[in-house]
Amino acid sequence: MSKIILIGSPNSGKSLLFNRLTGLSQKVANFPGITVDVGSGKLQALPDKTLIDFPGTYSLQAISAEEEVAVDYFERALEDPDVEQVLCVIDATRLEKSLLFTLQVIRDCERNSKKITVLANMMDVLENHDLTLDVEGMSAALHTRVIPISARSGKGIDEVISELSATACQVREPRAHLVDTPDAILRGEAHKLAHRFGPEGDVLIRTQNRLDNFFLHSLTGGVSFFLIMYLLFQSIFTWAAPVMDAVEGSLAWMADALVPLLGNQVVKDFTSDALFSGIGAFLVFVPQIFVLTFVIGLLEDSGYMARAALICHKPLRLFGLTGKSFIPMLSGVACAIPAIYAARAIDSPRKRVLTYIAIPLMPCSARLPVYTLLIAAFIPAQTALGGLVGLQGLAMFGIYFFGMMTGLLVTGLISRTSEDHHNDLPFVLELPPYRLPGLKPIVRNAWNRSKHFVTKAGKIIFTVTVVIWLLGYFPNYGADLGQSWLGHLGHFIEPVFSPLGLDWRYGVAIFTSFAAREVFVGTLGTIFGIEGADENMVPLVEHIQGSDLALGSGLALLVFFAISLQCVSTLAILAKESASRSLTLKMFVGYFLLAYTAAVVVYQVTGLLVG
Amino acid sequence: MAINLSLWSLKAGDHCEILGYDDALAEKYKIRLMEFGFHPGESVICLQSPSFGAPKVYQVSNTVFSLDDEVAAHVAVRLSGASE
Repeated sequence: MSKIILIGSPNSGKSLLFNRLTGLSQKVANFPGITVDVGSGKLQALPDKTLIDFPGTYSLQAISAEEEVAVDYFERALEDPDVEQVLCVIDATRLEKSLLFTLQVIRDCERNSKKITVLANMMDVLENHDLTLDVEGMSAALHTRVIPISARSGKGIDEVISELSATACQVREPRAHLVDTPDAILRGEAHKLAHRFGPEGDVLIRTQNRLDNFFLHSLTGGVSFFLIMYLLFQSIFTWAAPVMDAVEGSLAWMADALVPLLGNQVVKDFTSDALFSGIGAFLVFVPQIFVLTFVIGLLEDSGYMARAALICHKPLRLFGLTGKSFIPMLSGVACAIPAIYAARAIDSPRKRVLTYIAIPLMPCSARLPVYTLLIAAFIPAQTALGGLVGLQGLAMFGIYFFGMMTGLLVTGLISRTSEDHHNDLPFVLELPPYRLPGLKPIVRNAWNRSKHFVTKAGKIIFTVTVVIWLLGYFPNYGADLGQSWLGHLGHFIEPVFSPLGLDWRYGVAIFTSFAAREVFVGTLGTIFGIEGADENMVPLVEHIQGSDLALGSGLALLVFFAISLQCVSTLAILAKESASRSLTLKMFVGYFLLAYTAAVVVYQVTGLLVG
Repeated sequence: MAINLSLWSLKAGDHCEILGYDDALAEKYKIRLMEFGFHPGESVICLQSPSFGAPKVYQVSNTVFSLDDEVAAHVAVRLSGASE
C-alpha cells in the first residue's frame, strides 16, 4: 500500500486536513503543538493509500529530543520506497513562519526524489479579509505545485484528491542549488518569498491585537482570566455532576434489578459489590472527562488558551513549570485524569513531566469526601472573627492550599536539582489568531478522550476493584471484614500506621483507598457497621468522634490524603501518557513516603502541642 | 555581542530592528528564533507588554509570538519607530 506523508508547522491546520481526508479524528485545536503522535489512516477517497500525519514542527533542525524523534522519523520515512508523495501544509495567513520549514521539506524531498505538493491552508480566512496569496507565483518560485485550500470549509480538497490520485508518481529532478542549500540561506529565501507572494497588510494582526488589548490588559485581562477559569471549574463540578449522578443512579438501578434474579449469594454479592462497583469506579469519571475536554477544546480552538498560558507563565516559572502547565493543574483540582491528558499540549518534555508530577497534588474531587469526613470529625463547627470565619471552612481552605503549595514546592525542588536543567525549550509561544471554535471536532475529541479512558484505564481500575473485593469477602463470605484476608492484611500493616496513632481499621481503609481515595469513607463505614456512609456521613462522623481518635491522627490523615497518590485510574493514565512506568512508580512511592513522613511529623507535633 | 537595548526592554507600540544576539543565548535558541523570523535586520513590533513581568508579545513579519525575559533579554535591538 502506498503512503503519503502529511507534514506542516504547528497550528497550520494539518490535523483538521488529516481528519477531512481520512474521516478519522485526530485531535485538532487552535493551539501550537497539539499533535504529539504520528497518526495514520486510509484516505477515504483513495482507500489504497495511507496518509501519515506527523507532529507539527517549526523546523527540520531539531532543538529538543522530542523534535529529534519526529525529524528522524520523517527522514527515515522519506527513504521508504512505499512513500509516494509528501503533502506539506502551510498557514497562508502566516507565510514566513511556514515557508522556511516548507523549503527544508522541499530540499529533503529532492534529495530523496520524492514528489511534494504544498497546501496553502486557511485561504478562507484570507478571503474573509479580502486578502490574497499569489499561488501561481509561489508555485513557480518553489518549483512545486501549490494548492490553495481550506481544511475547515473543504475548499480545494477535491483538487488535493485529484493530485493524490495521479497514478504516475512524478519523481522530482534534484535541483542542485536547493539540494545543498544550508538552512541559513533557506531562512533568507523564506523571508523574501513571504514578502513577495504573501498577503499584504496586517489586518489579521490588528484584529488579534485589539482583542489582546482586552485579554492581556492588567485589569480586564486579569478579570476575564479569573472569570473564564471560574467557568472552567464550574463546568467540571456543576455541569458534570448531574450526569455523574445519573451514571451512579443507573448502575444502582441495574444492580437492584439484576441482583435479586441471581440465585447464589456469592454471585449476588460479587455482582452487586464487585462488578457494579468496579464498573462504576471508572464510569463515574467519564462525564467529568468529557465536559473538561470539551471546555478546554473550546478555549484552545478560540485562541484563548495561548493567552492563559502567557498570563500564568511568570508565577509558574518560579516552580520550574511553564504557563502551559496552568490548565492541566487547574483541571487537576477536579480530577487528575483529564488533567494528565491536558498536559499533552506542553511542548517541552521536561516541563510536561514536571506538570505530571504536580498534578496529583492538586486537590481533586475524590479527596473532597475524605476531607469532609475528617474535618467534620476533628474540627469544631465554630466560628471566629465575629462569625466571619468558620473553622471548618478555614480547615478545608487550608488543606486545599497545602496540597497545591506542596505540589508546586515539589516541582520547584525537582526542577532545581534535576540534571537535564539545561536541556529545555525556551518560552517562545506562537499566539494564534482568535476565532470561533468549531464544535464538531471538539465534541468528537471529547468523545474520543472519554472512550480512551474507558478502554485503557477501565480494565485496570476494574481489576483492582475486584481484587480488593475478593480480599475483603473471603474466606468468611463477607460476614466480618476484620476476619477477611483484607482484615488480616490490616492487622499485618497496623505497625506501619501506628506511628500516626491509627489502628488496623484505618490501615485497611487507607489500603483500599489506593484504588480510589473516596473508597476510604465507604470502607470505614463498612468496618464500623454503618450502611450508606458515602451518602450520609453523620453517623460515621459521630462514630469516629466517639472512638477517642486523637486530633493529631485526624490531622495526620488529612495531610496524608493531601499528598499520597491513591488513585489507580491516575496511575494507569499516567503510565500510558508519560510512556514511563518508571516515572509512575517513582511518583507513587515518592508521594507515599512524603505523605507518610509529613503525617508522622504532624501527629507528633500535634501531640506535643495539644498533649 | 554586548546589548544596549534588548527586545525585552521594549514597551507596547515600540518598533525596532534586530541587531543580533547576546553570546549567553544558547545556539539552538538563536536558530529557533531565526526560524521564527527574529533574524538580524528584521523589523519587530512590541504589541503587548503585560504587567507583572509576564511574557511580552511581538509581531515579526505576519506572525505574533510571546517571548519571556529568558529569551527576549538576549536579543539586541535598535528602536526604529515612534511608539503608537
